[in-house]
Amino acid sequence: MSVFLPRRQNRRRFLRGLLGGGAVGVALPFLDCFLNNNGTALAATGAPLPVRFGTWYWGMGHTPGHAIAEKTQTSPGIEFLDEAKSLKPFENQLNFFGGFGMPLDGRSNYTHFTGWVGNRTGTVPQRNREIANTTLDLLIADEIGNGTRFKTIDVSSVGIARENYSARNTDSRPQAEISPVALYAKLFGPEFIDPNVAQFRPDPMVMVEKSVLSAFMEESRDYLRTLGAADKDRLDEYFTSIRQVENQLALQLQEPEPNEVCIIPEKPDALPTDRLASVREMPNVIATHKVMSKLLAMAVACNQTKVFNMVFTDNFANVRKPGETYTHHLLTHSEVIDTKLGYQPLAYWFNQRASEGFATYLETLSGIREGAGTLLDNCLIFASSETNYAKVHSLDGIPIYFAGKAGGRMKSGLHVVGGGDPITRVGLTAMKIMGVPIQTWGTKSLRTTKLVTDVFA
Amino acid sequence: MLNQSSKECFKSPLNWIFSIACVMSLTAATPAVSADTITLGFVVRDWFTSVFNSKFLDECPEGLSVANDEIWWRGLSKEERAKATENGLIQSLARQFITPRRGPNGEHVCHDPTSVIDPPMKVVEGKYSYGANLDGDTDGSRTPKTCSHVNFTHPDDGTPGIDNQMYRLLGCIYGWRRGGLPEANAHEGRGTSGLGMILIEVSGVTDPRNSDDVIVTFYRSIDQFALDGSGRPLPYSSYNIDMKDGKPRYNDSLKGAIKDGVLTTARGDVRLPFYGNYNFMHPIIRDMGLRLEIAPDGARANGMITGYYNMDEFLYYNGGMTGHVSGGDNCPSMYVAAHELADGYPDPDTGQCTHLSSAFEIGTYAAFIIHPDEEVKSANR
Amino acid sequence: MKVSFLPLAMILVLTSCGNSEPEITGAPPDMRRLTDGQYVNAITDIFGPQIKAESHADPLVRTDGLFAIGARSARITPSGFDRYYYQARTIAQRVVSPENRTMMFPCEPRDASAADDRCARLYFTKIGRLLYRRPLTAAEVQTPIDAASEAAKVGGDFYRGIAVGIAGMLTTTKFLFIIDSTEPDPDLTGNVRLTSFSKASRLSFLLWNTTPDEPLLAAAETGELHTKEGLKRQVDRMMASPRLDTGVRAFFKDFLEFEQFETLEKDSIIYPAFTIQVAEDAKEQVLRTIIDHLVVRNQDYRALFTTRQTFITGALARIYRVPTRRPADGAWIPFEFSENDPRAGILTQVGFAALSSHPGRSSPTLRGKAIREHILCQRVPDPPGDVDFSLFEDPNSPNKTARERLTAHRTAPACAGCHKITDPIGLALENLDGIGQLRTTENGEFIDASGDLDGTVFTDAAGLGRAVSTNPATTSCVTQRLASYALGRSIGPEDRELLRYLEAGFADDGYRVPELLRRIANSEALFAISVPTTDNATVLSNADGTVQEKVQERQL
Repeated sequence: MSVFLPRRQNRRRFLRGLLGGGAVGVALPFLDCFLNNNGTALAATGAPLPVRFGTWYWGMGHTPGHAIAEKTQTSPGIEFLDEAKSLKPFENQLNFFGGFGMPLDGRSNYTHFTGWVGNRTGTVPQRNREIANTTLDLLIADEIGNGTRFKTIDVSSVGIARENYSARNTDSRPQAEISPVALYAKLFGPEFIDPNVAQFRPDPMVMVEKSVLSAFMEESRDYLRTLGAADKDRLDEYFTSIRQVENQLALQLQEPEPNEVCIIPEKPDALPTDRLASVREMPNVIATHKVMSKLLAMAVACNQTKVFNMVFTDNFANVRKPGETYTHHLLTHSEVIDTKLGYQPLAYWFNQRASEGFATYLETLSGIREGAGTLLDNCLIFASSETNYAKVHSLDGIPIYFAGKAGGRMKSGLHVVGGGDPITRVGLTAMKIMGVPIQTWGTKSLRTTKLVTDVFA
Repeated sequence: MLNQSSKECFKSPLNWIFSIACVMSLTAATPAVSADTITLGFVVRDWFTSVFNSKFLDECPEGLSVANDEIWWRGLSKEERAKATENGLIQSLARQFITPRRGPNGEHVCHDPTSVIDPPMKVVEGKYSYGANLDGDTDGSRTPKTCSHVNFTHPDDGTPGIDNQMYRLLGCIYGWRRGGLPEANAHEGRGTSGLGMILIEVSGVTDPRNSDDVIVTFYRSIDQFALDGSGRPLPYSSYNIDMKDGKPRYNDSLKGAIKDGVLTTARGDVRLPFYGNYNFMHPIIRDMGLRLEIAPDGARANGMITGYYNMDEFLYYNGGMTGHVSGGDNCPSMYVAAHELADGYPDPDTGQCTHLSSAFEIGTYAAFIIHPDEEVKSANR
Repeated sequence: MKVSFLPLAMILVLTSCGNSEPEITGAPPDMRRLTDGQYVNAITDIFGPQIKAESHADPLVRTDGLFAIGARSARITPSGFDRYYYQARTIAQRVVSPENRTMMFPCEPRDASAADDRCARLYFTKIGRLLYRRPLTAAEVQTPIDAASEAAKVGGDFYRGIAVGIAGMLTTTKFLFIIDSTEPDPDLTGNVRLTSFSKASRLSFLLWNTTPDEPLLAAAETGELHTKEGLKRQVDRMMASPRLDTGVRAFFKDFLEFEQFETLEKDSIIYPAFTIQVAEDAKEQVLRTIIDHLVVRNQDYRALFTTRQTFITGALARIYRVPTRRPADGAWIPFEFSENDPRAGILTQVGFAALSSHPGRSSPTLRGKAIREHILCQRVPDPPGDVDFSLFEDPNSPNKTARERLTAHRTAPACAGCHKITDPIGLALENLDGIGQLRTTENGEFIDASGDLDGTVFTDAAGLGRAVSTNPATTSCVTQRLASYALGRSIGPEDRELLRYLEAGFADDGYRVPELLRRIANSEALFAISVPTTDNATVLSNADGTVQEKVQERQL
């Protein structure tokens, strides 16, 4: 049984009518969360476009003195040196943050781990593999991510699902999608509602499935009284997770606004089996990243999510040049510095690829027109690594870029000089731009309230 | 007797005790059957007719041989040509199946090469060729076993008396020059199908780099090549010997010796399997000799097989190909030329030599040759 | 002189009866999330192998060396639940599909295009018990019946309704988590014990890595599992079953950190022979060797590190450079390395050598570290953050072998402290290259594979295996890990009595792992439960959800 719904019918009336006052209850308040933060509906035209937040991750940082020229003061103009030259065309879409510090307060530097945990959660780990606080993308998603099918989407080009730099804590860390085919199925598979289809036909079974999910969830609450605090927390997260899926189902029942930018992309081919064996050879990483970036960008344009995370290379840069014995990571330690060049040539090669990768990502996002500008204009992309100079695992001056214009909320083209300030200033600034009502972020010496006001429009 | 690498076995005093084991463990392929000798195995992947191509075609002073299709085209009237090209509308003709059928009664001239008389084929007139001195002499004169022919000189070291009439026959045919289609296609087909796979077993080896007295046996396998990511066979794969009625279907042996990693055999008649371009053959190569250079790590061995190749089998193989368009050959004139050039084993009644002296470049990979009767349990056999 | 035999007799009696299980303080009741393996096994066992379930749950955090302990704190993130949800729907659809449904259903609906609560009740009662690992309460059966009824009405299909009900059940905490439920202990007033269904779960996941089967649930129902004899009967039954292999494999996969195989890769130019198939076969070879040695032939655990008997496929034969009659079809055939081959024991198998190496070459340090941490349960500290390796990795250096290159590891004071723990062991395996191929030279230089492990010397990899087999840490490590795995928590110094008991038993039993497993399965420790005495006290529940008031009072 399918129902043809003419446009602009009152949704509440529809839902009641559908079940004919049947046994299944509809949690109507859910509908409110389809609206944006300000409570105004998204009309077909003339409405403010949503601002999205994305992160981009690359491993092994920069080669100091060869990526972005140092500056003494925050000012417009980013000088891209050879390693980062691919980003020059995007200068007026970028802000660069250099010279921020990460004091450890006596804790160990868990190499290639402390760096990203510090700059994305505000708290450096006390033990190896510990993530004590939530990453900023999830804090932002909690704020803006409720009206879309997915609260966040996590993607990795490097084939290691568990290396995803988005987590609530050590135990709650979603996997990244590593297969283009699976990503496509998740984003544009049977559950995707095409906003540009002439007739919208909500599937009544979806309604049933949603309420069934609810009923089973209620039953699981039996256990809440019987568990210890830690386990109660785990159960709470489980309930939150169910609600997200309920949200997705509810959205499948709602007629989406037409969206001329949303064009269902072509289904990608499965990776051939011999490619699977060499997924982390750099040419393959670059190719996968290209495909995944396109899918992800279109998913954002189609309003499937407002928060999206991409991993280009993982924190241990487990990537290789074909024919080379060592991964990028091992090269940063073992490769001899060429006295003429002043850097490790092969390790440098990888860093250049990372800059190119980020450029490709920005190109993809700016390739989708949206309103008067591009999708990138309506995004804030937070690109970071876990170290500055990988060879010595330095935590000082971990490079961070902001890309996009955050829908006009952000200036760009600035080189921000940190002067040793805690790097949490950067993440706090991002969250503030994205509308998270937060005054303070970070713990111990990373605790800060000081925004980088220079980037505010 | 011990070479440099086996001296390594004795470097550490502790290894004196395990010296034999150490020597054996150095061998690239299957270690010892008994305490004294080991067996080496190789599987042939590359088989190419050895041709000497100079840069400027000096060996073909009159140019390349005229191909079948040109003769066909020349034989068409203007009207027939117009019909074939639809009055100039078609540029490239699907002529593969038409052009060989130009006998007076529509005979296929490759299956029936005497049905037409074509202009004589251009054959090699150069001085140099790879190969071996099969008849033992340098003047090419007729002997009870051979017909008169012109000898070549070896291009690498100037050795005179090289017998390679097969090269003389094929060397000026476009498709049979290095990298040409008939052999490339055959090579590809063999790799993916595993058909016509030759196994070379070297037994009685005391030292893999130097052994005076070894036996080289040639088998066939019907197992597939195990290929790596770029399509090359992986060394140290195992191949089962193809058996018939409890005996290997191919089983001929030659005596040989290994010196400084180079295996050479005495000459004898050896039947080998052959597959190429959808044709199967099993010629007996007469007075066949093998020379194989074994790589220091033992994983590969390349070399050459020389001997007298059966002319009828070869003409049958060539005639049966469908790629004459790109092969650039011409069956009737090749038939005539082959009969003129053949230099081995005259027919007792007619005196017509029945074999062509020839040389084939081969490339092999280390392999375990599996006999059906033996226990395959331990690493040491 | 009169010799008194009495004290001697007493001593003899005491020593023979000396090894009895000590009292232990249990842990609080826990809530372990199903691992991917357990999820798939449970679905396969309940619904049949034709269902082909998959599980890609949120990754577990390896805690104190085991994922099994991480399962205790594992969560379900939104994307994780998303996966469970869609997988549940796929499974449910397959279960009710026309070719499968006749097998599973105890009844037929009156009208296949409408709801049929009677038949739904029969079905959900039957599978619910298997899914939730205990009989369902009336309310618990009603939920899927209602769901199926509603869905059947809207969808016009009885079986579609059932699918919705199944999918719902597969996404509840009761399926996805193994939640301990407790009851007052009649033998020890004032204390609690695990319900027999919770005991059944612990037993089943330990021995077979899957959900309790019907006979085990029946034994739980009669209360048999609360008695020593009843428990022993079930343990004996389950250990005699071929399904024990699954349980043992699950343990060793966790113990040896085999998830690393998922991200294992080798450079295809340097090692063209190393394909995905080789990686899969290498993992399977280690597991097969372990099962054959420990379970099928019931041999001494220590001999795993010296055994020459194993199994190979054609792909592995190429890496080992040994002949095989079955080069191409992926068949597993038994194989034995010869007496003087340095490859003996699982540490010399491709599964170890390739795993603990770089993509393009071997690594003595990684191999040494793996052996210390996985086999001997000894921690190797992380390298300092500011270490500079480039001094040792000069490509133009005259150092040809790894031993020479790592000299600085052993001599530089900042490095030697840790590297002397790892390198001497790893260097013994240098005759195996980055993918486990045997070699005697590196860059033309002869490889010296001699060294020592805590004082036991060796000259090659086989010798290392012997040294590992005689090292006391080897047996105590596997004991401690297996106990931790079973109990789902780290067995530490406060449980040293328990460990001593288990280790002594292990020794008495000739270091036979099945016997150790049996001992743990039959132990009090496996089911020991304690209640924390904090304000935020765990409120204990009965199986049907009612709260145990009495116990709560006592805690106050």
